Amino acid sequence: MKSLMSNSARSGCGKATSSSAENYQLARRRTLQVVVSSLLTECGFESAEKATVESLTEMIQSYISEVGRCAKAYCEHTARITPTLSDAVVTLNEMGFNVDTLPGYAKRSQRMVITAPPVTNAPVIPKALIAGQKRTHPSHIPSHFPEFPDPHTYIKTPTFREPVSDYQVVREKAASQRRDVERALTRFMAKTGETQSLFKDDVTAFPLIAERPSSIPYLSALLPSELELQTLEETDSSEQDDQTDSENTPVNNLNDDPGADKENSVLPAGGVVPLVKVSEENMIDNPYLRPVKKPKVRRKK
Amino acid sequence: MNRKKDKGFESPRKSVIGFVELTIFPTVVNLNRIKLNSKQCRIYRVRVNDLEAPFIYNDPTLEVCHHESKQRNLNYFSSAYTAAVSAVDPDAGHGELVIKVPSELWKQGDEMNVLKVYIEFSLDQPKGGLHFVVPDVEGNFYSLGCLGWPSVFWFPCVDSYSELCTWKLEFTVDASMVAVSCGDLVETVYTHDMRKKTFHYVLPIPTAASNISLSVGPFEILVDPYMHEVTHFCLPQLLPLLKHSMSYLHEIFEFYEEILTCRYPYSCFKTVFVDEAYVQVSSYASMSIFSTNLLHSAMIIDQTPLTRQCLAQALAQQFFGCFISRMSWADEWVLKGISGYIYGLYLKKTFGVNQYRHWIKEELDKMVEYELKMGGVLLHPTFGGGKDKDNPTPHLHFSIKHPHTLSWKYYKMFQCKAHLVMRLIENRISMEFMLQVFNKLLSLASTASSQKYQSHMWSQMLVSTHSFLKSISNVSGKDIGPLIKQWVDQSAVVKFFGSFAFNRKRNVLELEIRQDYTSSGTQKYVGPIKVTVQELDGSFNHTLQIEENSLKHDIPCHSKSRRNKKKKIPLMNGEEVDMDLSAMDADSPLLWIRIDPDMSILRKVEFEQADFMWQYQLRYERDVVAQEESILALEKFPTPASRLALTDILEQDQCFYKVRQGACFCLAKIANSMMSTWTGPPAMKSLFTRMFCCKSCPNIVKTNNFISFQSYFLQKTMPVAMAQLRDIQNLCPKDVLNFILDLIKYNDNRKNKFSDNYYRAELIDALTNSLTPAISISNEVRTVDNLNGDVRLILEEITRSLNMEKLLPSYRNTITVSCLRAIRMLQKNGHIPSDPSLFKSYAEYGHFVDVRVAALEAVVDYTRVDRSSVELQWLLNMVQNDPAHYIRHKILSMLGKNPPFTKAAESPLCNEALVDQLWKLMNSGTSHDWRLRCDAVNLYYTLFGLTRPSCLPLPELGLVLNLKEKKAVLNPTIKPEQGPDTTQMTGNTMVSSVSMSSGVAPPPQGLKRKLDSVVGPLGSSPPEPGQVLQEEDSSKTLKIREDEIDMESPHDSQAFIHHHLNILERPSTPGKEPPAVDQAVLSLPVTPLPSFSKESTSSSKHSGDHHHHHHHHEHKKKKKKKHKHKHKHKHESKDKERDSHTFSNSPASGRSVRSPSMSD
Repeated sequence: MKSLMSNSARSGCGKATSSSAENYQLARRRTLQVVVSSLLTECGFESAEKATVESLTEMIQSYISEVGRCAKAYCEHTARITPTLSDAVVTLNEMGFNVDTLPGYAKRSQRMVITAPPVTNAPVIPKALIAGQKRTHPSHIPSHFPEFPDPHTYIKTPTFREPVSDYQVVREKAASQRRDVERALTRFMAKTGETQSLFKDDVTAFPLIAERPSSIPYLSALLPSELELQTLEETDSSEQDDQTDSENTPVNNLNDDPGADKENSVLPAGGVVPLVKVSEENMIDNPYLRPVKKPKVRRKK
Repeated sequence: MNRKKDKGFESPRKSVIGFVELTIFPTVVNLNRIKLNSKQCRIYRVRVNDLEAPFIYNDPTLEVCHHESKQRNLNYFSSAYTAAVSAVDPDAGHGELVIKVPSELWKQGDEMNVLKVYIEFSLDQPKGGLHFVVPDVEGNFYSLGCLGWPSVFWFPCVDSYSELCTWKLEFTVDASMVAVSCGDLVETVYTHDMRKKTFHYVLPIPTAASNISLSVGPFEILVDPYMHEVTHFCLPQLLPLLKHSMSYLHEIFEFYEEILTCRYPYSCFKTVFVDEAYVQVSSYASMSIFSTNLLHSAMIIDQTPLTRQCLAQALAQQFFGCFISRMSWADEWVLKGISGYIYGLYLKKTFGVNQYRHWIKEELDKMVEYELKMGGVLLHPTFGGGKDKDNPTPHLHFSIKHPHTLSWKYYKMFQCKAHLVMRLIENRISMEFMLQVFNKLLSLASTASSQKYQSHMWSQMLVSTHSFLKSISNVSGKDIGPLIKQWVDQSAVVKFFGSFAFNRKRNVLELEIRQDYTSSGTQKYVGPIKVTVQELDGSFNHTLQIEENSLKHDIPCHSKSRRNKKKKIPLMNGEEVDMDLSAMDADSPLLWIRIDPDMSILRKVEFEQADFMWQYQLRYERDVVAQEESILALEKFPTPASRLALTDILEQDQCFYKVRQGACFCLAKIANSMMSTWTGPPAMKSLFTRMFCCKSCPNIVKTNNFISFQSYFLQKTMPVAMAQLRDIQNLCPKDVLNFILDLIKYNDNRKNKFSDNYYRAELIDALTNSLTPAISISNEVRTVDNLNGDVRLILEEITRSLNMEKLLPSYRNTITVSCLRAIRMLQKNGHIPSDPSLFKSYAEYGHFVDVRVAALEAVVDYTRVDRSSVELQWLLNMVQNDPAHYIRHKILSMLGKNPPFTKAAESPLCNEALVDQLWKLMNSGTSHDWRLRCDAVNLYYTLFGLTRPSCLPLPELGLVLNLKEKKAVLNPTIKPEQGPDTTQMTGNTMVSSVSMSSGVAPPPQGLKRKLDSVVGPLGSSPPEPGQVLQEEDSSKTLKIREDEIDMESPHDSQAFIHHHLNILERPSTPGKEPPAVDQAVLSLPVTPLPSFSKESTSSSKHSGDHHHHHHHHEHKKKKKKKHKHKHKHKHESKDKERDSHTFSNSPASGRSVRSPSMSD
């Protein structure tokens, strides 16, 4: 809950700043547009389409931004934080601009003077979340070094809550969770499949999943469901072996059966007998386990 | 006789072809005809010693009454049916298949040489006997189980329990299948094309054909790890369940072998678990067939004891029923009794004395209830003492002469009574002697069985009432004659009413025991009765003598009343307990009194004693039967003291869990009666909370742990009982409902070793119980919007549970079953619209059988409540067409239990079409399944009673004239019939003459109506037209009524046979059934005859005469027949006697006052 609250608080903050920052940027952009227009006038255009002006503005903005970015990069490359003139010069050179022509261009005669952008409040830099006291530098670190970041960025903050150990609540929760899952699941099944209804006026109320006759109804009714088997495995590990054992047998069986039928004509040994483990088979003499005899040439009646 | 059989199966077509080879050692010369039983088989050829033999085949039970008959009363049907069964009764030497021994062999027969009879037959899509289950899945997968008690439906044989022979059986089946049958599997051999295998079985122990069985399927095989001779079979994928379910079979084996001091008689034993079984358990020689639904995993609690009990029953029947067979149907009770009795001993050993006594009480109550309602159950009917004794049970609407005609419920009660009577015998002669008798029977039988080819010795393997009683008197030296007379030779139970007074002056207990022996199903008891009196000084047994006229018995008391002294009170079992004696009467030393505490009389006791006495009995008597009795009695005493006694019992964990379960329901009832004065939370709520809920949060139930079964059962029951509580508005208290909803909500089975499916199902049941009728504005349509809030919650739970079942089905779909019941209850109480379509879809084939039954129950209920003929039709269609026998049986029995209407009430459903449909169903539609046919008879009885259904037009008047007319015409025709030479052809002319006489052959209906108006006045006093008919041998007036016609059908079936015997003389035309023309020709004039039910009493005498004269000519034929029996039976003399009665007596004439059950 706490985190949720802080979250919403933060997002609220963001909204406030963004609006002032937008104002700020809009003002700058407008100045740029004026610049572009004046440059166009300077070049002798009488009018320009709005879209064109917009494109040019965009281009100029990108150019300036790129210059700033590169300059910043150069300065940081030399382990400084504020770009100097030389950074800008290198950048401009790098971008294929001849810096030497700049003074001349600046002093051209036909240049137009434009008004400075309106003074708007510089955007408030959103306050970083301060959680806890920032650490002061230890003695061996000079004080001009950047401050430590906020403690939450490097300190492990426990965000989980005390697990609820209250028995009643746990049971309550488990029960309602199970019920919700069951309800959702059955509703889903009912929605996606055929249903039967108890009411004629409103068939969607209390939908019942339609029954489906099965060709071997006793199997599902007698065999424990997998869920129950799992439970059994958890509660009793000694029986686990038995169960997996038994689970495997029928599966094998199913696979075997059709095969056995086909193969019977070829491989008489593959009757029903192999179901019983071979090890036991040796011990027990039961007529049903004996191999099936091949027909004698003359069968006696 | 030796028998060899070979069979080939074709699964997709559901057909069987086979042959039977019988080796007959004639015991008498002149064997020229052989009669065998064969139901629904198509016989291709018969050869005797390699000579083609002519044969005829006629099964009169296929159609009991012939279709021309317009008779619709049950009396008529019952006697016709009995006669039809008698006509092919193997014990009387009859059979459907009559083979004429080729004359070339007659001489051989004279020299008593061996005859080899070879019969080729096939069964195509059998409706009974063999049941094919072919699931609609890929691959060749089918299974087949044998069924069809009490007749062999799948091969020709002498279908009697008393005809023993050794067997050699061969079955050729698809290579992927296993054929399991009786005896030892000698070898399995492939056929030449390697596609099929032949299973060779040999059964060296003489066995009756009825005990031969077969089961084929793609079985998984499990050799019992403890006993390698025992093999278990189950359908694919169920092997793990089989392993678990069979893991204790060896214990049952050990138990029986130990008590009987006799080894299991067969050299091997097989258990087969099949789908769609006819009954849950059926035992055959050396194998038992079970329903696959008995299998369970280790996680299932409730099914475990049930499955073990089924196994124990099956094994008990292996000894008594399969190995030892019965001499005749009348001796059946001995086998059922012994197997039931030793099964009881197993119950006692495995599940404890409490469970055993509880079971005995349960069985006794069940049986007593049935007998009081339906009339007595007769264990050992004796027939043939004379005409009048023919029907010893006139109160029943079916005959008990043959197992085939018994109502299923009656047969169940018969078994129940049989083992109860065995227990009575044990009480008399002690268990030690009892077991000695069994041992003696078994050892005699096993000696006999090892005597090869000495079939006269084999009769030792058959038990009869007489031989059993003789063994008892030899072993014990005691005379149990009176006991046998009372309970075995006589039906009905005893009904006691007891009350008492304490005479302080004489210090005597004056006990009064009265009997009701006049109402149906009761008999008079004379003899000793045990009374136990618990006094302050201890418990004392008194044996009183119930005599003719003495009602009062004085019992001296041992202790003076002295409640001031503090002393422990000794109980029956020697235990001494402290009691709070403040509740009791200061003047009397009596704590409680019990009449016949050991249940050594088949009785119902209604005893009156004060409420505090019942309470003491509940708290301190250690016998569970006493506790259960007191719980039942306390329902009538809704007082705080009763409440306290019941809650105390609930809390006592030493108390038997079933008693505690009973206490729950009683407490709920008491709470409802005490509604206005009840204090504290709803009954049982705090108790449940204390026992099963968390200490820290009492509204949440603990996570499930069912390690202790006692508390598991209690935990299951309590919510169900609580839901029966009602408040002043007659609603289930809100508290309780929420409590149950919480139980469902917080149910958590994750840590449990056992499945909670039964528990959850019972919680749904509890919701069902909490429902009360909706307050409805008349004719308001039930919609979602006007659903009551509580009901909405309940419905929410039910739909969720039902839907979850589709995704995670529970064991045996218990939850679906409960949900369906709940939905029906919601419908019935008017909360949701009443609509059977949901149930109908769940009832379709392809659902688990329990689900189908639950759904069908709802449809049946709907049919009754809404009087819907559409649903009734739907149900009856299912009875005719459903593949599963059990379902068909179940539908009819549920309809009988919850009938859409009864004979007493008018109903739009009761119409002629329904009568015809049901009639057809029992007459010919169910010939392949005795049980179903008897179910249909039961239903018919419930709906219409014994007489002609009231909804049918009563054409008496028209018919009277018709008959009169007929007689007038008949008279001359009959005269010549006196001549012994006249054969059935006379019958033919008779029929034709009748139809001629009715004029220009108008449709009978029209005729009736037409004549009605004409001869109205005649109707009120029927003329005595019979006078014209007077013959020299019938001196009495001939009145026309139903009983007379009763005689027709027996004649029919006899006539059939005779007719065909005649045909035999000519070159035979082998065929399955006689051509239809014959049938029409032969049926005697059964055409419309009126029914005067009021006069039925006097009719019996007459009908005999009538019969005489009609069938005079037949007697000659019979002689031929009789002497033939001699060849086949060792007990001819008896049989012959019986035989002749079969012809001369019809049970219909047995409405006599001299029948044994009425004589005392």
